Amino acid sequence: MSRFPVLLQDEPKTPPAPGKKWQKVTVAENGQEVEKWIEVDAAATETWPARSEMRLLNHALPRVDGPTKVTGAAQYAHDMRAPGMVYARFLRCPKPAAKILSIDTADALKLPRVVAADSLNVERTSYLGQPIAVVAAETPDAAEDALRALRVEYGELGWVLTHERALADGAPQVFDKKPKEGESPSNRVAERKRGDRDASRAAVEAAPFWTEQIYSLPVQHHACLETHGLMVDFRGGTEAVVHASTQGTFTVHGDAAEALGLPGASVRANVQHMGGGFGSKFGLGVEGQWACELSKRLKRPVHLLLTRADEFLFAGNRSGAVQKLAGGMAADGTLLGLSAEVDKLGGVGSGSYPMQPYVYKVGQSYCAVSRVHTNTDSARAMRAPGHPQASFGIESLIDELAYAAGLDLLEVRKKNLEDTVYHRQLERAAREIGWFEHPHRSRPGSHQAERAVGIGFAVATWGGGGAPTCQVEIRIQRDGSVTTSCGTQDLGTGTRTYMAAIVAEVLGLPIAAVEARIGSSEYGSANPSGGSTTVASLAPAVLDATFQARARLFELLAPALQTQPESLRIGVDGLLDTGSGRRLDWKQACALLPAEGLRTNGQWKEAFQGRGVHGAQAAKVEVDTLTGHVRVLKMVAVQDCGIPLNRLALESQINGGMIQALSYALFEERILEPWLGAALSADFEGYKLAGTLEMPELVPLIDDADTRQVVIGMSEAAIVPGHSAIANAVHNACGVRVRDLPLTSDKVLMALEKLRTQS
Amino acid sequence: MKTFELHLPRTIDEALALLERPGHAALAGGQDLLTELKEHIATPDALVDLSGIQGADAIELRADGSLSIGAGVTLAELEKHAELARRWPVLTEAATSIASAQIRSQATVGGNLCQRPRCWYYRNEALSCLKKGGTECLAYGGMNKYNAILGGGPSYIVHPSDLAPALVALDAEIEIASREPRGARRRIALASFFTLPAEGDVLRENVLAPGELVVAVHVPAHAAGNWRSTYLKFKERSSFDWALSAVALVARIDGARIAEARVVLGGVAPVPWRSKAAERVLAGRPIDDSAAREAGEAALAGAEPLSGNAYKVPLTKGLIVKALRAIGGRS
Ligand SMILES: Cc1cc2nc3c(=O)[nH]c(=O)nc-3n(C[C@H](O)[C@H](O)[C@H](O)COP(=O)(O)OP(=O)(O)OC[C@H]3O[C@@H](n4cnc5c(N)ncnc54)[C@H](O)[C@@H]3O)c2cc1C
Repeated sequence: MSRFPVLLQDEPKTPPAPGKKWQKVTVAENGQEVEKWIEVDAAATETWPARSEMRLLNHALPRVDGPTKVTGAAQYAHDMRAPGMVYARFLRCPKPAAKILSIDTADALKLPRVVAADSLNVERTSYLGQPIAVVAAETPDAAEDALRALRVEYGELGWVLTHERALADGAPQVFDKKPKEGESPSNRVAERKRGDRDASRAAVEAAPFWTEQIYSLPVQHHACLETHGLMVDFRGGTEAVVHASTQGTFTVHGDAAEALGLPGASVRANVQHMGGGFGSKFGLGVEGQWACELSKRLKRPVHLLLTRADEFLFAGNRSGAVQKLAGGMAADGTLLGLSAEVDKLGGVGSGSYPMQPYVYKVGQSYCAVSRVHTNTDSARAMRAPGHPQASFGIESLIDELAYAAGLDLLEVRKKNLEDTVYHRQLERAAREIGWFEHPHRSRPGSHQAERAVGIGFAVATWGGGGAPTCQVEIRIQRDGSVTTSCGTQDLGTGTRTYMAAIVAEVLGLPIAAVEARIGSSEYGSANPSGGSTTVASLAPAVLDATFQARARLFELLAPALQTQPESLRIGVDGLLDTGSGRRLDWKQACALLPAEGLRTNGQWKEAFQGRGVHGAQAAKVEVDTLTGHVRVLKMVAVQDCGIPLNRLALESQINGGMIQALSYALFEERILEPWLGAALSADFEGYKLAGTLEMPELVPLIDDADTRQVVIGMSEAAIVPGHSAIANAVHNACGVRVRDLPLTSDKVLMALEKLRTQS
Repeated sequence: MKTFELHLPRTIDEALALLERPGHAALAGGQDLLTELKEHIATPDALVDLSGIQGADAIELRADGSLSIGAGVTLAELEKHAELARRWPVLTEAATSIASAQIRSQATVGGNLCQRPRCWYYRNEALSCLKKGGTECLAYGGMNKYNAILGGGPSYIVHPSDLAPALVALDAEIEIASREPRGARRRIALASFFTLPAEGDVLRENVLAPGELVVAVHVPAHAAGNWRSTYLKFKERSSFDWALSAVALVARIDGARIAEARVVLGGVAPVPWRSKAAERVLAGRPIDDSAAREAGEAALAGAEPLSGNAYKVPLTKGLIVKALRAIGGRS
């Protein structure tokens, strides 16, 4: 996730066991996508039904938990209350870095309703807003008062908040690490290199059209509606429940048990609904550690959900990037050379970036990626980590070179994309956005037009494959009720809905006849939802469990019907004995089950899933050249995903990707005061998200030409290209190239002014 | 927030008596004040809730064509008033442009005119800026994209109210009640209510003395003739946002020409910024782009952008062009 997957092993040399084969799979570990080799069945007997025969899958299914969400009945971690519960809050260090000389909690503890005040025992903070103390009180207000009553003595430390200052001569060092022999200390740490720098630069400079530019992107926040946190319900007994807002049910309860000093089996994680994660919510976190610690000590339930300011300052973000790209193009549009020097801005962490060239093929290329530390919180995985940054760099560069060469922007892309799936997707996006009727396809429009309209394109790639991580149980009762359960979590993607739909599809039932149960560590194991790996890990196990349930049903019913299991069939018309021609409806059939009903456990099957998705998007914008205002008129996304399990949920994911990208393109940006060391955008007034009036016509198109009969995750791909397409569309509209996102009106207007004075 | 006492007076006099005491602050819709309390930027001991005061929330249209708006009228009420929209579109458009529907349903006219600056240095509890008793305007040499290009110094805030430029363009007066001498009321031009930081107390944005209350604004009847008006506000994010710049334009049209005009800018200065120079340019001119461009040049001639807000100059000029076109297309 945080880069192109890290391949840990080579393909094993030993032959696989009989009936098995070696298969490379992707798993998300701590938000990072990692590749492994495993043995899988060489051939699957039965797989997904043909799409044409599907009754529920490949259709638009309203989410089964929609009504509970829109009526407010759905309970999130924030909503959880328990008798005797206290509210905990963190004190954040107001400086980007400081020595914490002392924290006096005495005054805080004297306040009414305050039950705890603790130093986190941080000696030196290394980022703005780092939590340094925690308090707990019987009301949120009392907790706020307690924070203000903490007396902290700070000692000065040097710090840097911006890329420029981090790299200045004599800049304070974020980490005081000893530099290597002969090197001076630097906040820049080289990470990865690929290709031959000199050869690539030579190829660039020998090309008939070449340019070198810096493309930069700000730090973006996940901006989850529900902040990070949890309610630990422990009252001093032998058991506890942790209600967590997390992307991984099973990433929480183990560490929580340890922190609570309870046996692992005595702590249950509960994640029925969660209000967004986008890659930022794995594991217990500092909030979970302290909620457990306080709960253990107080023997009272603890509610510790971060405040919005906490969320903006220490709950992770998408790393910023400063990319110096030099590219060269032949007269026919072929990319001959690319040299990329990239700094990731991941605060005290590393940040993410795939290598360049991203998706496109280039003759000679070189890419070096470094991280540049600043005194801000560590970046975390965020929906397609690193890809949107790389996309913005390469897609902008390609446009600049294409204009220089006077070439059609769509044709240039196809020329440099080997995989023809992209050609198909780009052409469809182009048709849908009106490219072929667009008046200027190889030169930008005029800045003199008052309302300048432009179109831009960009592409994406993602893995989206699964791994053997999910255990799915199906139970069928004598009364005909069916449940399918797995401890997995639903990040808003519709997990419950497809779990029920798969079972219902195969057993010939309506979707409402199957109840999907998730979000508890008491159920079968599941992977954390990261890297779009959920569906390809879970859906195969659900299908396998369903096939097994059907087989077991036939086995149990055959004797009662005096027939053989092989002659039984099930479908929308109920159970059929092909031998006798006798039919039973579902209830009649289940009534013949033994008292305990039946249960099966399904496992992941490699053959039911695949990996590798593409994606192409186009954006049409209108620039008001009097004000610099950019209005996105329309966005089109063409997205492949193997079998579309639920078309409505897929379209919703694609729309969400486009919306998040639009917001990133136009507004989103962490704003820090570089001289005083303060956060200026740690709320939704300073950190602007696109709202309803920014919404363009959104056209999410599922690429049905992708006929792979497997399930693949695609949600990450949908966020990768949108902002790049918008930036390119702005240039196409009026000739203004903004190389540092966001494309706020002030930048666009000043660039237009420059064009006006030049002409 | 700091614990406070809450008073619920029923009359202006009761309210004024309470506000005389130290540490007492007036609370109207709370859309600004509550934020300041939560962020510990304002820390009064007691709040005097004005919502129970009788008769403070009336919109009065008089037979002579004048208009009075009680300080307690909500922005939503203003926005929905059909007759206002017909006669003073500048006011309706200004009200509609403010914040979100939820906020407008609570926020009052009095509160909107008396709200404190939004400058992010001022609003950051950890920073001590000139507006909070500090020694310098941090925006001046800092992150000043949203700050003033006109009338700045020593503070560079922009006045946040959208109603203010519209009302100033309508030559409105503001009615202020004070306790001494008992029951005293004074009416002053709204334009002179707001103070430039260089002229007034830099800790405040207007002439209201502690303990005083705004009770109403009065809009005089227009002289006979064909009046048109518009409020054009530019927001970085359309969905709801503060003005990066705004133009309140009120004009009397004589045939195809502008007989007289008021041009008041919002979002660019510490006060609603009336440009008499632009008004002079427009007087007697046909409604067209060339008049608008000249007016724009005149209005912005004295602009002194800071390091990060030069864009406000062309932006405001562009808005003046649009505002003139808007009234050109209106009858
Ligand atoms: C998210 C957000 C966006 C906003 N966007 C805009 C915008 O785009 N344009 C805009 O103009 N405004 C905007 N506002 C501001 C909003 O319009 C004001 O906060 C609101 O009008 C204040 O009115 P209120 O009645 O809630 O005042 P309060 O918050 O109750 O009071 C504000 C201040 O005025 C004082 N006060 C109130 N009434 C009187 C009175 N009668 N006499 C003397 N002093 C008084 C109070 O003591 C306090 O200091 C926004 C606010 C928010 C929260």
